[in-house]
Amino acid sequence: MFNETVLKEINDIRVKYPDRRSALLPSLYIAQREFGWLSHEAMLCVSKTLNLPEAEVRGTASFYAMFKNKPVGRHVIQLCTNVSCMILGAEKLVDFIGNKYGVQPGGISQDGRFSLVIMECIGACGTAPAMLVDTDFYDSLTEKRIEEILEGYK
Amino acid sequence: MITLTINDKEITLEKPVTVLEAAKQAGIKIPTLCYHEAVKPFGGCRLCVVEVERMPRLQTACTLTAADGMIVRTESETISRVRRGILEFLLINHPLDCPYCDKAGECELQDLVKKYGPTVGRFKEEKRRVPESHKDQILARNMERCVVCTRCVRMCNDVQGASAISIMGRAGYSRMEPFSSASFNCEYCGNCLTVCPVGAILSRLYIHSFRPWQVDREVETVCSYCGVGCSLVVQVRDESIKRVIPKIGFGLNKGLLCSRGRFGYEYINSPDRLKTPLVRKNGKLEESTWSEALTIIADKLTKIKKADGGSAIAGIASPRCSNEDNYVFQKFMRMACGTNNIDSISRTGFAAAQKYFEDVLGQGITANIIEGLKNSETILVLGGDPTAINPILGLSIREAARRGAKIIVLGNAKGLERFKTLQLVPEVFKEADLLDALLVEISHAKGVRGEISAIDKGIRMLSEKSAGNKNVQGFDELKNILMSSPSTSIVLGMDIVQRTDGHRALFAIAGLTYLLEARLYLLSEKPNEQGLIDAGCVPDMLPGGRPLSIHDFKRKFEDLWNGAIPEDDGMTLFEIIEGARGNKIKALYLMGENPVFNLPGKFYIKESLKALDFLVVQDIFLTETAEIADVVLPALGWTEKTGTYTNLERRIQLQKKAVEVSHGMEDWRIISEVSNKMGYRMDYAESKDIMDEMAKVSPLYRDLTYREISYGNCLWPYLGEPLRGEISEVPEASYVANQYKEDFYLSVEKPLYHSGTLSRRSPALLKMYPEPALKVGAKSAEKLGLNEGDRVQFFTQTGSREAAVSIDESIKDNRVYFSNNFQGDGVYSLMTCNIDKVTKAPGIEGCEVKIKKL
Amino acid sequence: MEKFLLKNIENPNSADVNEYVKAGGYKNLSKALDMQPKDILEEVKKAGLRGRGGAGFPTGMKWSFAVADPKFPKYLLCNADEGEPGTFKDRPILEKNPHLLIEGMAISGYTLGSEYGYIYLRGEYPYAKDVLNKAIQQAYEKNYLGDNILGKGKRFHLAVYQGAGAYICGEETALIESIEGRKGQPRNKPPFPVNAGAWSMPTIVNNVETLSNLPYVLEIGGEAYSKIGSKDCPGPKLFSVSGCVEKPGVYELPMGTSLKDIIYKHAGGTRNGKKLKAVIPGGISTPVLPAENIDCAMDFVAMQKAGSMLGSGAVIVMDESVCMVKVTYRALKFFEHESCGKCVPCREGTEWLRKVLHRIENGQGREGDIELLTDVTWIMSGKTFCPLGDGAAGVVTGMLKYFRNEFEEHIKNGSCKFVS
Ligand SMILES: Cc1cc2nc3c(=O)[nH]c(=O)nc-3n(C[C@H](O)[C@H](O)[C@H](O)COP(=O)(O)O)c2cc1C
Ligand code: SF4
Ligand code: FES
Repeated sequence: MFNETVLKEINDIRVKYPDRRSALLPSLYIAQREFGWLSHEAMLCVSKTLNLPEAEVRGTASFYAMFKNKPVGRHVIQLCTNVSCMILGAEKLVDFIGNKYGVQPGGISQDGRFSLVIMECIGACGTAPAMLVDTDFYDSLTEKRIEEILEGYK
Repeated sequence: MITLTINDKEITLEKPVTVLEAAKQAGIKIPTLCYHEAVKPFGGCRLCVVEVERMPRLQTACTLTAADGMIVRTESETISRVRRGILEFLLINHPLDCPYCDKAGECELQDLVKKYGPTVGRFKEEKRRVPESHKDQILARNMERCVVCTRCVRMCNDVQGASAISIMGRAGYSRMEPFSSASFNCEYCGNCLTVCPVGAILSRLYIHSFRPWQVDREVETVCSYCGVGCSLVVQVRDESIKRVIPKIGFGLNKGLLCSRGRFGYEYINSPDRLKTPLVRKNGKLEESTWSEALTIIADKLTKIKKADGGSAIAGIASPRCSNEDNYVFQKFMRMACGTNNIDSISRTGFAAAQKYFEDVLGQGITANIIEGLKNSETILVLGGDPTAINPILGLSIREAARRGAKIIVLGNAKGLERFKTLQLVPEVFKEADLLDALLVEISHAKGVRGEISAIDKGIRMLSEKSAGNKNVQGFDELKNILMSSPSTSIVLGMDIVQRTDGHRALFAIAGLTYLLEARLYLLSEKPNEQGLIDAGCVPDMLPGGRPLSIHDFKRKFEDLWNGAIPEDDGMTLFEIIEGARGNKIKALYLMGENPVFNLPGKFYIKESLKALDFLVVQDIFLTETAEIADVVLPALGWTEKTGTYTNLERRIQLQKKAVEVSHGMEDWRIISEVSNKMGYRMDYAESKDIMDEMAKVSPLYRDLTYREISYGNCLWPYLGEPLRGEISEVPEASYVANQYKEDFYLSVEKPLYHSGTLSRRSPALLKMYPEPALKVGAKSAEKLGLNEGDRVQFFTQTGSREAAVSIDESIKDNRVYFSNNFQGDGVYSLMTCNIDKVTKAPGIEGCEVKIKKL
Repeated sequence: MEKFLLKNIENPNSADVNEYVKAGGYKNLSKALDMQPKDILEEVKKAGLRGRGGAGFPTGMKWSFAVADPKFPKYLLCNADEGEPGTFKDRPILEKNPHLLIEGMAISGYTLGSEYGYIYLRGEYPYAKDVLNKAIQQAYEKNYLGDNILGKGKRFHLAVYQGAGAYICGEETALIESIEGRKGQPRNKPPFPVNAGAWSMPTIVNNVETLSNLPYVLEIGGEAYSKIGSKDCPGPKLFSVSGCVEKPGVYELPMGTSLKDIIYKHAGGTRNGKKLKAVIPGGISTPVLPAENIDCAMDFVAMQKAGSMLGSGAVIVMDESVCMVKVTYRALKFFEHESCGKCVPCREGTEWLRKVLHRIENGQGREGDIELLTDVTWIMSGKTFCPLGDGAAGVVTGMLKYFRNEFEEHIKNGSCKFVS
């Protein structure tokens, strides 16, 4: 089960909405933060805390791309390849990351350092290509820049 | 009034409905796939598209509300092209394995494709693959066949309220899955099976065993498990049941079923069924013939009657037998054996409570239709979990909750965890104190009306004493809800009745019912508890609830039955057992009952019955009780005979014969043969003749015929006639309050998947809940340092057992639960009981238990 | 034109409440609270403000439906899901000018009789979440939000709700489902959100940019506002320009600025002077326009006439080096991924289209594929549950309309000539 601090955090969110179910997405974020990904155990905790059916918790979680249904690396690279980024060469960057760090889209690098997720438009088309590493935003990417950035994520 | 035109046909509607429904009313069929009348509209498949004048896009008929002046076309070239296109879309990822799929023949997708095409597919890419899941023992899941209509999920969430499945993933990766992604771990109602249009969810009970069109017959009948009495259809092939299915919108269950009703039928084909009469010879039960067995019984009973009088004979009837069986049984006991010692296992709860309430409040007080629960603003649930004991009634409570009704639970009720508004957990076994306080406060606020003298007097007496205990969290809220509720229902499980002071709680509930003008529902575990009382299988009442003590009634029956009815009041269940022990009862006739297994104090009961001179058991299995009998007679079971059953709302329904078997006889037929041999004539050719007689003698059944009953709407036939006369005193017994100081108390678990002797011979139900577990609340588990699955030994004063622990978060007090539904020693073997002096029901509360981790 | 929505954003502290107030912020809220709600609604109607989320629905009209509904509480939801590929116009407001949005929402809440507002923010904007939360906290501290706003006895509470990566949650009923803690699948309409939306109560969903226009409407008055830009749909508009241009970015220009001007005058023309081939004018769900057709006014009405849509005003510029088959394929991959799975034509149609397009792009196109694509899009168009599926079909239809030859070439040659 979640510890007291987390339970309080969830309760603080819960009171902002007329119905406890609204706290589901925020609680899933919290569970993902606590467990690293949404394991069955993590989802059970959410289900118990909010008194929502387990299957609904999982069903809802699985609908959203940013909830991870399998373990991820220490750092998650979320790279956009949608049209504006694609036009400016994002696909090559996927290959570059793949070759350089040994991580394929949807996969995790051997050393567990990186997961790579292909994103649909992250709202940085004007400075494409762009990516999120964990929750940090980077744009105007080139191979060189990626290398420099990822240096900071061990 | 709304008038619209569909395919040039003018249709007038009373109230706004969807275009789909309007078309249906006019006999126009619009194809659908995601739509199902049992669940809310969804609008996902888009097959029901229609053209509506002045609307730019095609509209989906299942979601569009018909409006005045609408002009609708349901077929056109464009529409056909869309439907063909949609079906082609549905087939691109479909495995097209119809030759192998069990659904073929009753598959909606197959039928639609046959009607609208396409005949060839243009999709040449690779199909999505989802391996079939073999991980659940009851439900087979094949997600390649799934069309993501979500009917199953809508059924599971919005109707059943189990919320055990969901659509996982999104877009093309959507698939229905239970939380665990493997086993369903659900309520196993199987209602998802009813609505799945394709072969995506199938029951393992019949998978690959027959084609839907290969059945010899389909018989509409009524379930044999609990006191709700759901309508269902049995499909028979080669004189064995292949499948049980419901009929959507039909019966009081409107097409819903529970785990027992849908999957629990296999016991009837069990190899353990009794096939021939057995007679004890040289201490051993040996196969015998009907004529020998019946003669022995008749001779022996005649002899005892002569020597010791009729009062040395007793009979126990069965809430699993039909009205006809029970009527004939009590008539036989009274007229042929000359005794009023007739009772049943319903004395342990339902019959005791029923009698008490009718004595206090008047007859018919519990005749409230289940459907009405849905409309209650407040539902007070106590003494058990309705969703497990009477699952379909439980669904009405869940539906009310969804509609916004307030659900108040007193004590533990697992199936209402997500539906309750308020829960009160009084100190263990002290509900009566809380209820007394509630009654006193509400009577102060509302005033006593002075209509029914006995209850008014009782309430006044209580309030003068300022009785009860309101120091329970939530008390004030409970009071306020009840005081301001425009319509209240009280749903009572038998847990609270089975107390040494059970009558105290019953009085308080009666008082609340009266003051709040509430509807009262008694949960009923067996299918004919009400019918058995109505048929006269109680010591002090004749059929139709006529008290034996009123002379006019007695005389009338004596005229009708052509003989003398004994004078004395007769013994109740536990008095009979005591009587057997004390040699006052010499012979006991058991029809379809297994007291050694089904009553608290297994060893005590067994010993008592062994003390009898003569024990006859009529049953479908060689039960624990049959094993010690002198004569055992094979009876017929469900679907093997026709008869009527009266459910807890007093709906009289017909259980129909569906299969022909060569072994066994109807219970009533066996009894009448014995009776004839004893010199009291009973000439019934078929069960209908018995109902004809009952319709003549019982005011409850006046003029009722099988034909009328088969419509399913026969309830409440009281015609305003007072059946019993008013009583002026509330029966009360002095009672010394118990001290409950122990850490843990043992109680009886009433699991959803089981029901007594029958379910332990139903393989499917055993798969859902294979072996008994000790159910422990989260707090108790913590206190004991127990984890899920730990093995423990637990001791009571009577004995001990070993079992695995299962932690049940819904248990809020310090009780632990163990069931009595499995082969071997159940919870009753660990209990003894005292008898409530008023209701004569057993008090099985306060059974201390020590738990040791192994 | 003087900037309003993006005023001051060059200031590194623009998100701070003090800076915002210094630049004249929150005075329109104060003004609003001294007016009658119905008078503000009148101004909004007079201004002719139309929703900036994509559909261009008249805001005043939407509001009056909600006001007319007698049920309370009412909820005001700000649509900050900004998921339409090519769109990044709301981001500068969210990250750099959050108090403008908060002020706009407080004014809207007062006008609508709604005391609770939520900002549904896409999960992909974690930075904006922090900025907004901080700004909301400041606004509470300074009494621009709370139970007694500016001491004038009015309440408005505001919180941020974070989405989790689902484009469909930008659709208003899906957004409502999502904020209620469910999957973001669109709801059947009617009932419309204005009558029974979030938690079954009257609910108004408006885009970030729409709500951010409110202070401006109050500042200059509806009359003056209605004179800015196009007659049918006036006001300032944010355009996000991306792709093969010299100066991509967000531009605040009057509604109705011509597409050509946006690209050439403001965004510096095509990158490296390459030849312009095509433009997607309003985000990926809007049909493509070939280079010859870009001389059109960017507003809801004119773009419809030009055979496309204004959408979110997200201009994606493609020069001669870009393969249209590939763009179509990538767009469909997006739609396939983002289809909510509720309705058959979208769920199955996008997958089928993507698979065929993938094949064509990779040189495995077959004769008849173009007819197949055409037919599949026909089955989808107008038959899906919500506009997402329509958009997906529209992309293919639009591309085939202007660039059919490129598809044919791929099929005939068995290869893509743009592969470098
Ligand atoms: C598939 C789909 C995605 C949408 N995404 C967004 C979005 O990301 N942001 C937005 O403001 N509106 C979006 N919309 C439009 C909204 O449904 C809605 O029209 C808008 O929020 C209303 O606000 P407005 O009147 O201020 O424009 C989307 C609509 C559809 C059908
Ligand atoms: S068009 Fe259908 S499947 Fe696609 S997003 Fe809308 S409702 Fe969902
Ligand atoms: S039946 Fe109407 S959309 Fe499926």
